[in-house]
Amino acid sequence: MDQHEHHSRLFKVGGAQVSRFEDMRLITGNGKYSSDWNAPGQLHACFLRSDRAHARIVSINFDKVGQIKGVVGVYTGADAQAAGYLRPPSFLPPTGKGGMKARVPERPCLAIGKVRFVGDPVAMVIAETHLAALDACDLIDVVYEDLPAVVDPEEALKPGAPQLHDDVPGNCPVEAESGVEAPVMEAIAKAAHVTKITVDCTRVTASPMEPRAALIEYTADTDSYVVHTPSQGVNMTRKQFATYANLGEDKFRVEIQDVGGGFGQRSTVYPEYVSMMMAAKALQRPIKWVSTRTESFLTDTHGRANLITATLALDKNAQFTGLRIDWITDQGAYLSPTGPAGHIRNATSCMNGVYNIPALYGHFKVVLTNTGWVAAYRGAGRPDIAYAIERVVDAAALELNMDPADLRRRNYLALSDYPYKSATGSTIEIADLPGLSAKALALADWSGFEARKAASARKGKLRGIGMSAVIEPTGAGSYPRDEIDISVDGEGQVTVHTVAHSQGQGHETSFAMVVAEALGIATERVKIRQGDADRAPHMVGNHTGGSRSMVGAGTVCHIAANKLIDAGKSLAAEDLGVEPSQVSYGKGEFTSAHSKKKITLAQLAAKKTLAAKGEGTFISTFPNGCHIAEVEIDPETGITEIASYLSVDDCGHVVSHTIVEGQMHGAVVQGLGQVFGEHIVYDKESGQMLTGTFMDYIMPRAGKLKSIQMEEYTTLSKLGPLGIKGMGGSGCTASLPALVNAVVNALGVRHLDMPLTPSKVWKTIQQTNVKH
Amino acid sequence: MAKVELKINGKQHSFDVEDRTLLVNLIRDHAQLTGTHVGCDTSQCGACTIHMNGMAVKSCTVLAGQANGADITTIEGMAKDGKLHPVQQAFTECHALQCGFCTPGMIMAVSGFLKDNPKPTDDEIYHGLEGNLCRCTGYINIVKAVKQAAKAMSK
Repeated sequence: MDQHEHHSRLFKVGGAQVSRFEDMRLITGNGKYSSDWNAPGQLHACFLRSDRAHARIVSINFDKVGQIKGVVGVYTGADAQAAGYLRPPSFLPPTGKGGMKARVPERPCLAIGKVRFVGDPVAMVIAETHLAALDACDLIDVVYEDLPAVVDPEEALKPGAPQLHDDVPGNCPVEAESGVEAPVMEAIAKAAHVTKITVDCTRVTASPMEPRAALIEYTADTDSYVVHTPSQGVNMTRKQFATYANLGEDKFRVEIQDVGGGFGQRSTVYPEYVSMMMAAKALQRPIKWVSTRTESFLTDTHGRANLITATLALDKNAQFTGLRIDWITDQGAYLSPTGPAGHIRNATSCMNGVYNIPALYGHFKVVLTNTGWVAAYRGAGRPDIAYAIERVVDAAALELNMDPADLRRRNYLALSDYPYKSATGSTIEIADLPGLSAKALALADWSGFEARKAASARKGKLRGIGMSAVIEPTGAGSYPRDEIDISVDGEGQVTVHTVAHSQGQGHETSFAMVVAEALGIATERVKIRQGDADRAPHMVGNHTGGSRSMVGAGTVCHIAANKLIDAGKSLAAEDLGVEPSQVSYGKGEFTSAHSKKKITLAQLAAKKTLAAKGEGTFISTFPNGCHIAEVEIDPETGITEIASYLSVDDCGHVVSHTIVEGQMHGAVVQGLGQVFGEHIVYDKESGQMLTGTFMDYIMPRAGKLKSIQMEEYTTLSKLGPLGIKGMGGSGCTASLPALVNAVVNALGVRHLDMPLTPSKVWKTIQQTNVKH
Repeated sequence: MAKVELKINGKQHSFDVEDRTLLVNLIRDHAQLTGTHVGCDTSQCGACTIHMNGMAVKSCTVLAGQANGADITTIEGMAKDGKLHPVQQAFTECHALQCGFCTPGMIMAVSGFLKDNPKPTDDEIYHGLEGNLCRCTGYINIVKAVKQAAKAMSK
C-alpha cells in the first residue's frame, strides 16, 4: 500500500477530512512560541560565555559596561553563590556498581571559580534593550588561567587526565551495571564464535528549530515567578526550577503555548533561566532572553555521545548465547537532569534487542569531559543500544558468511516467548518479529537484491542493503500517575486538561480523537488544553518525552471520557426519571428505554456540573519494527543516495495514522541526519567546538530521503485499554542501524563510524581498493 | 538611528530603529508580527523568510534600512478575506507541519518559489527547499504539500 492510501484513511472524523486542530494558528503566523512572549517593562539578558574549554577565573572586571546606555545590572558566579542556585536536579540513581555512591557535581547557574566548557556562562548582563546587553558583554574583561582540557571520554578516564571537578575523582560520576557478568563471560568463553565491535554513537544536538528562550517575571507579593520557556510539560519544568532554586514548586507558574520542537532538549531547566530569576527579583522587572543558534550549539543539551563495545557469543548453530555491552557515556562538563539516567535505564531495558539471549551484562561508565552537557535526545539510549546490537549482529553475519536476515531469524524471540523476562530484569510484553520481519523482507524483495546490485554496478554505483530489527520501552513515567480532567459546558463543548505538552506531536488533535471516539461525538467538539497554568499545579502527570504521551495521557483521555459518561448517567437518571443503571449513553445522548426520555450532554451540562477526572499508571509498552534500506554510492564522489527505504512497524493500536506516519518520517530522518552528516565536533587540543553553526553542522535537507514505504504489523498491548504502544522515537532507533548496515554492506567493510560523509565514504573506497 | 517607512501586509508603517537593526527584528519587535521566526544566525534555516517586493527573502539577511520603501508580506498577510493561500492549505492538508516553527518561513519560501517555477520537478522542489530547515517532518510531507499547492495554483 502506498502512502497516499494511508493518508486517505486518516483524519476521517464523522466522515469529513480535517486537518490538525493546531494547524490553523501555526500556518497563519498566530502560534505563540517562547520568544513571542513579552511583558510591559521587560529588560533583556545577554550572557558572556567562556571562550575556552577549561580555565580558572582569576578576575571579572565589568567597570566599563557603564559606557553602554541602558545597562541595568551585571551578575556573576558570586551572585549565583549568594542565591544558592548551584545544583540542577539529577535523576541519576544514587548508587552504582558495587554500591558506588554517585558523585553529582554542582553546576552553579553562573560559573564560580572555573569554567569547564566553551559556552559555560560566566556573566549575565541586563539592559533595557537586547543590543545594549550584547554590547555590554563585549566590555567585560575576564582574566583566565588556562587549564589543560579533555574532550575525549576515553582520555578523560585515564590516570593523569585533567580533572573537571574536585569532588568527581577520575571524571567518573558513577559506574553502573545491568545483568550478571559471570554467565556472559562463561558464554563468551564457551562460544563457537565471538563477535566484538566498538561503535561510536556520535555526539549530536537536537536542534529543534525554535532556539531556547525565556521570559521570567517576579511577583513580589507572593515571592514567586511566572516563567515562559519551551517545555515538554509544565509540571516537570516547575519541579526542576524548584530543585535548582531551592524553592517550592508552588513558587513557579509556567505559562506556555507552542513549543518549536523538543526531542528531549526541552526536558532540562537550564542555568540561564535560573540566572534570570536573580535579576527578575532584584530589579522587579520581567527579564527576557532569546538564545542565538550558536549559543544553542554550545549550550543546549547534546544527545547520544556513547561509545559502545558489544561482544556477542554464538554457538555452533549461530544461536546467540550471551551479550556483553561496555558503554562509555560522555556527559560533558556537568550532569544534566536526564542524561546518564536515561541512557543507562533505556539501554538496560531492551539489552537483548528482539533476540533470545539468555545471558546479558552491561557495564556503564559515566564520564565528564570539557564539552557541553548531554541529555535525552529522541530515544535517550534506545537508539544507541539498538545501534550497537544491530551492528554486532551484522558484523557476526559477515564473519560467519551468513545472510544477516537469516542470522536474525534464527535468534528472534517468537510471539509465544512473550511476555519475555530478559536477563537484565525487564518484562517485554509482546512483539512478533518473525512475522513482522518476514513481511518486511518480502515487501523489500530482500532476496532479489543481487539483481539490483548488479544493475547498480552497471551504472558504476555501489549498492548496499541493510536491515534493522528493533524494540524499545516506552510508557513508564516518572510521576506516579497520569491524570486527565474532562468537563462539558452548556453548549456541549468538551474541555480536556492534560499536563503532557506537545512540541509538535499534535495532542490537540490525537487526544481529541480519543475523547471524541469514547463519547461518540464530533472531534471538533473536543478542546484539548495542555499545561493550563492555573490547573496544572493541581494535576499529576508526566511531561511528553520518551514517546510515552499516547500510552499515558492519551489512554487516560479514554478513561476520563468513560468516567464522564458514568458521572453523566448518575446525573441524567433524575431527569430521565430512572435509576442510573437504566440510563444508556451513546453519541452525546443519555437515554432511557424505560422512560423513553433522553437528554444530551449539552442539556445535562447546562443544568448540572458535568465533569470527571481520569487517571492511570502505566508500565512500558514495547513498539518494535523492521526497517530495510537500500543505498547507492557513487564511488567517484562518495555521495550516498537512499535508493529505497521500507519500514514495518508495530505501534499497537494507532489513533491517528497521519500523525504516526509524520512522527515516523521525522524520526527516520533524524536518524538519517546522524548517519550522514550531523556531528558535534570539538577540537582535541583547544576544546573549541568546530560545528557551532548550521554551516558546519550538517542537518538533513529535503530530498535526502524521498519517500518511505511504510507498513504496519500490529500486536496490541494489553497494558492499557486501547492497545497502544508508544511511538515517536522508534523510527530513529530503527533508521540508525538500517542505514549504517546498508552503507557498510555497499562498501564491503566490517564497520564504519558515523557520520558517513562523502569524504569518509570516498576515502574508505580508496583504501579498500588499495587492499584489493 | 534610521527612519524606515515601509508597507507590511498592505499597511503603511514608519519606525525609528538603530542602524544595525535587521528587517526580521523590525517585523517581530517593532511591527509586532511574531509569525516570522528566527531559527539561526547564519541565514541557513529560512524560518525568517518573507516577501519583499514580491520576492522571497530571508529577513535576517536584510537590514531594516534596506527595506525602506519596500512592500513586505509576512505570513500574517497570506490568507486573504479569511481564505487560506493555497500553500497554507496544502501544508495543513498534507500534514507538512508538526511543531510549526519553521512553517511560516517554509510557506513564504514555497509560495515565492512557485511564483518563479509554477510546475517544478521533484529535483527542483528539493533545490527550492535547500534554504529551509525543518526538524520535525523529514520533509516528505512538505514536498508533497509543494506538489499539491502547485497543482492547486495552476487551476
